[in-house]
Amino acid sequence: MGVVVEWLNAFLWGALVILGVFFVALVLTVVWGLIGATAKLSNSTVARGIANAYTTALRGTPELLVLLIVYFGSAVTLTSLAKFVDPSVKFVHIPPFWAGSFAISLIVGAYATETFRGAFLGVDRGQIEAARSLGLSPFQTLFYVRLPQMWRLALPAFGNHMNSLIKDTALLSVIGVEEIMYTADRATTITNKPFTMYLVVAIIYLAFVSVIIKTVALLEIHANRYLARAR
Amino acid sequence: MNFEISLIWESLPKIAEGAELTVRLHLLSLVFGTVLALGLVLMRISGIAILSWPAFAYIYVFRGTPLLVQVFLIYYGLAQFEFIRASPLWIILREPFWCAIIAFSLNVAAYTAEILRGGIQGVDQGLHEAGRALGLSTSQRFIHVTAPIAIRLSLPAYGNEMISLMKGTALVSLITMYDITGVARTIMARTFAPYEIFISAAIVYLGLTWLIQRAIAHAERRFSRYVRA
Repeated sequence: MGVVVEWLNAFLWGALVILGVFFVALVLTVVWGLIGATAKLSNSTVARGIANAYTTALRGTPELLVLLIVYFGSAVTLTSLAKFVDPSVKFVHIPPFWAGSFAISLIVGAYATETFRGAFLGVDRGQIEAARSLGLSPFQTLFYVRLPQMWRLALPAFGNHMNSLIKDTALLSVIGVEEIMYTADRATTITNKPFTMYLVVAIIYLAFVSVIIKTVALLEIHANRYLARAR
Repeated sequence: MNFEISLIWESLPKIAEGAELTVRLHLLSLVFGTVLALGLVLMRISGIAILSWPAFAYIYVFRGTPLLVQVFLIYYGLAQFEFIRASPLWIILREPFWCAIIAFSLNVAAYTAEILRGGIQGVDQGLHEAGRALGLSTSQRFIHVTAPIAIRLSLPAYGNEMISLMKGTALVSLITMYDITGVARTIMARTFAPYEIFISAAIVYLGLTWLIQRAIAHAERRFSRYVRA
C-alpha cells in the first residue's frame, strides 16, 4: 500500500478532472435530453426524424468510437477551417477535456432523450389543459407545470444515466485527458504495480457511483414527499 | 476538408473483417456471463445471508466500476502477481482475447443477474400460491411457474444488455486487438480521415445492433405467444 501513498496526490487531481468532466457533461446531457424529448414529442416530422436518427445512432455506436469521432473529427474540421484563414496553421483541436465532455454528453443525452420523453408523457394531460385554460403560455406551461412534474418520474432512470456518465469518463485518457486512468498508467510504468494502481481507480469510481446512488435516493424521497402520505 | 464517400466504401470491407472478432467476443462473453448470472441470481434471492450478501457485493462492485477498468485490471493487472505468472493458468491469462472474455463475462453476469432478479420479482405472487395449492415443490414451482414468466419479463432489458455488451467489446482495441474499432483505428492512423473511417465502423456496429434487436423481438414474440389476449 506504501506505493499508493506516493501517488495519492496525482490520483486526487485526476479525480478532480473526472468531477469536472462529469458536471460539464451532466449539464449538456440535460440540455440534449430536453431538446431531444421535445423534438420527439413535437408535431414536426423533420424534428422527430432528426431526434430518432440521433438516438438510434448514438445508442448503437460504442462509446469509444463516438469519443474518437468527436475528438479527431473536430480536430480535422477545425484544422481545415483554420488553414482556410491562415495557411501556416498546422493543427488545431478542441482541448481533450471539452471534446471528451461533449462526446460523453452526446452519448448519455441519447438515453436521457428517451427517459425525458417517457416522463413528459407521464404527466397527466389534464394538467396541461388546465394550464392552458388558466391562460398560461406554452413556455409557462413547460416551466411551471410540465417540468416540475416530469423530473420526479425521470429521476430513477436519470440516476442510472448519471452513473453511465461518470463511468464513461474512464475512456478519456484515450484522447489524452489526464484523469485517473492516465494517473494509473503513469504510476504503473514507474512502480510496475498495475493491479494495485487500477484497483485504486476502481475504488475511486465505486466511491463516485455510491455517492450518486445515495444522492438520487435522497432526491427521490424529496421528489415524492407530497405523495408519500397520499398513497 | 473534403468528405470522401469513396473512402467509406473502400474501408467498409476491411473494417467488416474485424467484425468476426467482435462477434466472437460478444457471443462467448454472453454465454459465459449468462450462465454465471443464473448462479448469482439464485444466490441473491436465496434468502440465505452468506449466499445473498456476496452476490449483492459482487453485483454492486461490477456495476459500479467502468468496464475498461475491469479489462485493464485483468489484462495488465494480473501480471503483477508472480504466482499467477507461474501458474498453468498464465497460458490463458496472458492472452488479450481470454482476458477480454473473462472481464466481459464477469461484467455481463452482474448486470444480467440484476435484470433476472427484476424479472423474478415481477412474477405475480398469486401464481406461487396457485402452484403451492397444486402441490408443487419449491424447485418445481421455480422451474415450471416462475422461470418461464421471469424470462419473458426480463427479455427487453436483457436485449439492452446484449447491445451494451456489443458496444463494450470496442474496448479490446485498447488491449492490442483488432476488432471493428481496432481495425478502424489502424486505417485512421494511415489516412487521417476520422469521419469516413469511424463512421464506416459505426455503420457496421449499427448493423450488428439491428440484428440483436431483431433477435430479441423474435424471442419476445415467442415467449409471449400464450399471453396475447
